[in-house]
Amino acid sequence: MEGVSYQRFPRVKIRELKDDYAKFELGDTDASMANALRRVMIAEVPTIAIDLVEIEVNSSVLNDEFIAHRLGLIPLTSEKAMSMRFSRDCDACDGDGQCEYCSVEFHLRAKCMGDQTLDVTSKDLISSDHNVVPVDLADSYAYDSSDQQRGIIIVKLRRGQELRLRAIARKGIGKDHAKWSPAATVTFMYEPEIHINEDLMETLTLAERQAWVESSPTKVFDLDEATGQLKGCLLLQEVVVVDHEAYTYDEEVIKKAEAMGKPGLVEIYGKEDSFIFTVESTGAIKASQMVLNAIEVLKQKLDAVRLSEDTVEADDQFGELGAHMRGG
Amino acid sequence: MGKQSMGNIAYNELCRMDTLLYLLVYPQRPLLTTRTIELVGYDKLGAGQNATVAVMSYSGYDIEDAIVMNKSSLDRGFGRCIVMKKYSAINQKYENNTSDRILRPDRTGPAAERMQILDNDGIAAPGEIIRPNDIYINKESPIETRGTMVSSTGQSDSKYRPTRQTYKGPEGETCVVDRVALCSDKNNSLCIKFLIRHTRRPEVGDKFSSRHGQKGVCGTIIQQEDFPFSERGICPDLIMNPHGFPSRMTVGKMIELLGGKAGVSCGRFHYGSAFGEPSGHADKVETISETLVRHGFSYSGKDLIYSGISGCPLQAYIFMGPIYYQKLKHMVLDKMHARGSGPRVMLTRQPTEGRARNGGLRVGEMERDCLIAYGASMLIFERLMISSDPFEVQVLAHACYKGLYHLLHCTLQDNIYLVPQVCRVCGLLGYYNHKLKAGICSTCKNGDNISTMKLPYACKLLIQIWEAFLLYL
Ligand SMILES: [Zn+2]
Ligand SMILES: [Zn+2]
Repeated sequence: MEGVSYQRFPRVKIRELKDDYAKFELGDTDASMANALRRVMIAEVPTIAIDLVEIEVNSSVLNDEFIAHRLGLIPLTSEKAMSMRFSRDCDACDGDGQCEYCSVEFHLRAKCMGDQTLDVTSKDLISSDHNVVPVDLADSYAYDSSDQQRGIIIVKLRRGQELRLRAIARKGIGKDHAKWSPAATVTFMYEPEIHINEDLMETLTLAERQAWVESSPTKVFDLDEATGQLKGCLLLQEVVVVDHEAYTYDEEVIKKAEAMGKPGLVEIYGKEDSFIFTVESTGAIKASQMVLNAIEVLKQKLDAVRLSEDTVEADDQFGELGAHMRGG
Repeated sequence: MGKQSMGNIAYNELCRMDTLLYLLVYPQRPLLTTRTIELVGYDKLGAGQNATVAVMSYSGYDIEDAIVMNKSSLDRGFGRCIVMKKYSAINQKYENNTSDRILRPDRTGPAAERMQILDNDGIAAPGEIIRPNDIYINKESPIETRGTMVSSTGQSDSKYRPTRQTYKGPEGETCVVDRVALCSDKNNSLCIKFLIRHTRRPEVGDKFSSRHGQKGVCGTIIQQEDFPFSERGICPDLIMNPHGFPSRMTVGKMIELLGGKAGVSCGRFHYGSAFGEPSGHADKVETISETLVRHGFSYSGKDLIYSGISGCPLQAYIFMGPIYYQKLKHMVLDKMHARGSGPRVMLTRQPTEGRARNGGLRVGEMERDCLIAYGASMLIFERLMISSDPFEVQVLAHACYKGLYHLLHCTLQDNIYLVPQVCRVCGLLGYYNHKLKAGICSTCKNGDNISTMKLPYACKLLIQIWEAFLLYL
């Protein structure tokens, strides 16, 4: 691998961090890196989800497949997913996917005895492993943890109806089924850079400035009260950028400026090497952990490419990419 | 909503025994309604789902009204449907006082494997997974059904033959016996009805439609990470090609998108009617646009979207928002069909027609025209004769011909099948005389000018029909 090195040293600045939410800046890198991180978070960070359901009794209104599908989509706490085995390459159970190394067993027993309808929720799922339990949304939000928020509803039972089942949860990735994706939202935007042409802005009247500021659907610009008062004249209130990130690249302000006969009033670019990420987790893993796991998965994928020195093996696995990586 | 869409059909939909019932797993109420829909109560029974639609081109699998679907949306239940089909069996009574009987299944014999889903009463149990060739009722019928009266009980086993009913469903799919109902029919004999349930997720080729008659099949299914996304994190459920708009002029669909988008942002169901502005039962596009702007969207309903593959922003702003989409009951699983060799029609000896009869795919007139234009005469010959109904007249019937010779010689231009000595006297079909071991022409009363040839059986049939009313070729 000779030639120019394109290595860059990305920088991360965390803006906001909650259990299920993270907002950070990723700078000094390219869209390819940012997008790779996003794609891995959606599709390749492993979590645990219910994969097999054995129904013993189901006299509810929903049919078996319906309930199985709903169970699969319940997020389970998956801190241990990274170190867990995929059931397809588990030696302990020969790919059966039922052993303690690659699966977690759940039981659900519910029967409605009273006249009121009984809500069967994710809280009724009894786990064999206290590390893998249905995500409790009430913990992360300040819901009053009375019966108001009692987990995710699976089915409602009427008097005499019963649901009894055994479920097996396994490790998986979002590429195989969306139930294994830890990401509720992963998105990024290019950080906008806004330059107001002050000289041209001076030529606008207050009403024109007001109209121009209001032409943006999001609150990006505002009239600065302070400067207006300082100069003792309302006419001279300056237009300032209050929140450049609120800009959605809609170009409404640029069109407005052109319509007003003042093209070039403002110039807006997207910075090509700075990305603002918004990451929301389903609760399976913490949002911050999701980013770290994504970087880990990405590293493993790159290692796999680098380690495949054997040409045949590399070409088998990566095709043309393998040859490219070896500098061919 | 229409006759073809899936959804809730009635409040008693799960207590019915329809021959065919299509239900949606997660039906929704449309975000954009009209006053009429409310008055009629159409929104009380969902007939589709509010899909986030991006109007853009993607991947090339979206040509000719095809739509591109998001795999994660399908995983989460979008477009999932339940198909219930009724199968029935009658415990028939016969005139000699005998009747069919239902037997306890054979748990060890050769048919045991196919009888696994049966209860001890010989009838399939609800909740069991049923596979093709499984027996769902272990029935036997008496061999003798007419004649002298027999006492209804005490017939020996040898007087019955098995008339088990086997399930013929799609291969490789998991269908479930949903319900079994026992009742008596109009002749007062026992009637057993089975409702077989099949839950399906959308696949390539399934048909979807918006409420504006914009129907299209699913062209491809793409992973969520490859799908475009907005900086708010919105990722469409499906992508529709913009070429669907100019010629159809479905302005209502665009208004639905805008109204739906405003509806989800402000939390109020909007009206999509084009009429009735003074009564307040319609939302004007201007007011919808104002709502959109108030919630930080562009007034036009277009968003800046990033490519999921490269991470770069797309060159154009994309018209994106929710549109109520219906799943129509035409699904590939029910229509998919191909065959190699198979059954033939008795009369013409040509392959049968239609999927139900495992029929062949017809090379019709227009296809034939294409092949003629292309000059692929050997291919026409193969399709119309070799792969269809070749008939070796050299074995079964001999033709002595004049007109026939010219007819076939000109079309086939193939001397391999034409032995040179031909009867140029009468031009009729002959026959093979096994005693003389020679072909005979029954008109000329000799076998001098007989030759053998190969022709489609249907052609031989036509010639003979004509001969029957004295029209000689
Ligand atoms: Zn295992
Ligand atoms: Zn003759």
